[in-house]
Amino acid sequence: MVGFFVFLCGISMTEKRFPTVSNIAGAGLGLRSSHYQHIFETKPDVPWFELLSDNYLGEGGLPIVRAEAIRDLYPITLHGVGMSLGSADALNTEYMARLKSLADRLEPAYISDHIAWVSIEGQYTHDLLPLPYTLEAQKNIIDKISKAQDILGRTLLVENPSSYLMFNCSEMSEEEFVNGVLEQTDCQLLLDVNNLYVSAQNHGFNAEKYLETLPKNRIKEIHLAGYEDKGKYLFDTHGYTVHDPVWKLYQKALSLFGSIPTLIEWDTDVPDFDVLLGESKKAQKILDEVT
Amino acid sequence: MSKGISLFELQQLFYKEVFDADSTENAEFYKCIKPAKNLSGEQSVNVYKDSILGGLTEALSSIYPVCVKLVGELFFNHMVADYLKRYPSGSPDIGDYGSEFSAYIINFEPVKELEYLADLVALEWSWHRAFNASDSPGVGVCSLDGLAGVAEVDQGGIQFVTTPSAVLVRSIFPIHQIWQVNQEDYVGDGIVNLDDGGVCLVVWRNAAFGMRIDVLSEHEFEFLQAVVDGKSFSEIATLACASDLSGILGRCMQTGLIAGFTLVN
Repeated sequence: MVGFFVFLCGISMTEKRFPTVSNIAGAGLGLRSSHYQHIFETKPDVPWFELLSDNYLGEGGLPIVRAEAIRDLYPITLHGVGMSLGSADALNTEYMARLKSLADRLEPAYISDHIAWVSIEGQYTHDLLPLPYTLEAQKNIIDKISKAQDILGRTLLVENPSSYLMFNCSEMSEEEFVNGVLEQTDCQLLLDVNNLYVSAQNHGFNAEKYLETLPKNRIKEIHLAGYEDKGKYLFDTHGYTVHDPVWKLYQKALSLFGSIPTLIEWDTDVPDFDVLLGESKKAQKILDEVT
Repeated sequence: MSKGISLFELQQLFYKEVFDADSTENAEFYKCIKPAKNLSGEQSVNVYKDSILGGLTEALSSIYPVCVKLVGELFFNHMVADYLKRYPSGSPDIGDYGSEFSAYIINFEPVKELEYLADLVALEWSWHRAFNASDSPGVGVCSLDGLAGVAEVDQGGIQFVTTPSAVLVRSIFPIHQIWQVNQEDYVGDGIVNLDDGGVCLVVWRNAAFGMRIDVLSEHEFEFLQAVVDGKSFSEIATLACASDLSGILGRCMQTGLIAGFTLVN
């Protein structure tokens, strides 16, 4: 047998194990694979990282080892799209079992997913799609959230969507739909301020009034990201620094809800780590002003 | 649109509009939507359609980078477009998507002349699966340290177990060379002679998470295939590879390709 190629991808592991956390605080960052090495080498001052759970569902290998190494250094949360909570399909129990296994292994402070659907009839789009705001869709997602929480044995955080269309059959506004979900489950809200701003601009509703309807004690995390201005609409690409109107809406949210752990997301054209770090410092400064 | 449409029906219509542009039901879907304030219905739907199809194409590009390099990004996107429609993703893990791409390519007329492409794509899929495979053999698999304790009378019933990442690949083309010359860090003249003939390979990940493509002899391939097929030691002893069984077994155990064993009656 001829050894043909060997690709060794070394990582610096730490022996110190961070204590299990029951909560997170401050302005964290979304972990992206291009930043692993930098983080392991420099151990930057970041209060917590969010890991995309769907990137760590493989049975083994380097990704999960790296995730554990990050977990040993920082508090973490898990964020995904795969639950497809708004789908008319039944909850995918095989996926939920994989997610539970991942959560048991990584011990995140929170697990979150979206008020959206990604699949129908077992066929996955891997993209977050909008829901009609009907009583049927509301009851459906409430049932699914409850079942997901039962399987995971913990409270979920669900994120408000960004959208580019709505449905004529909707019977209520988005905020009424979201508030109804919060009222009828014990899940918590992951308030994505960028999503809210994007949707408000695209559909012409008032984002500040939307914020004012939300229950203060149910918002456990905030997401911030940069949208792309496509001219006729705003596109939620997570590929830019946070825009000024979103920072302003964020300040409004903090004035209403207090100091909520906040995360900077960046998914396309991911820049150097220091750019993300700069964004999280900016968010931290605003958080500090609240506290 | 009908107020009476169910969530299931609406989501079915949405899915069809994205993946089946010719569906006669698409007009019904457009009656259901209220576009963003400055967009037409079609423009609003296209935001989603482009995002979904773009995301799936990107996922396949990341699994098949050598294929992308060989056919070019534009042609790859064209090649993938029909695949996305014919092969829905059946798993919430996008890493599971793309397993049928090699079979699809065999019948994709425009690349018929690239006879090696389907095998090369199979090699890239094997790499992808090996990278994410489980770290250790399943429950009930004994460590190789336990081999010494197997009584002589029971040794014929030993079933060896490969490391979970090991995937065997065989081709009548030198696909490992094609793969090699298309790696970013490759240094050389980049020439591959297709007449060099076929190759037997094992793609796997070692204990230090190093990804490997090892070239196998015919006997090594036969041995590992028999192991993967669950053949016992006594059955393997009847195969052609038995002429060098101790040598092959020793090398496979030393490298970690053989990770354990079970005993059958």
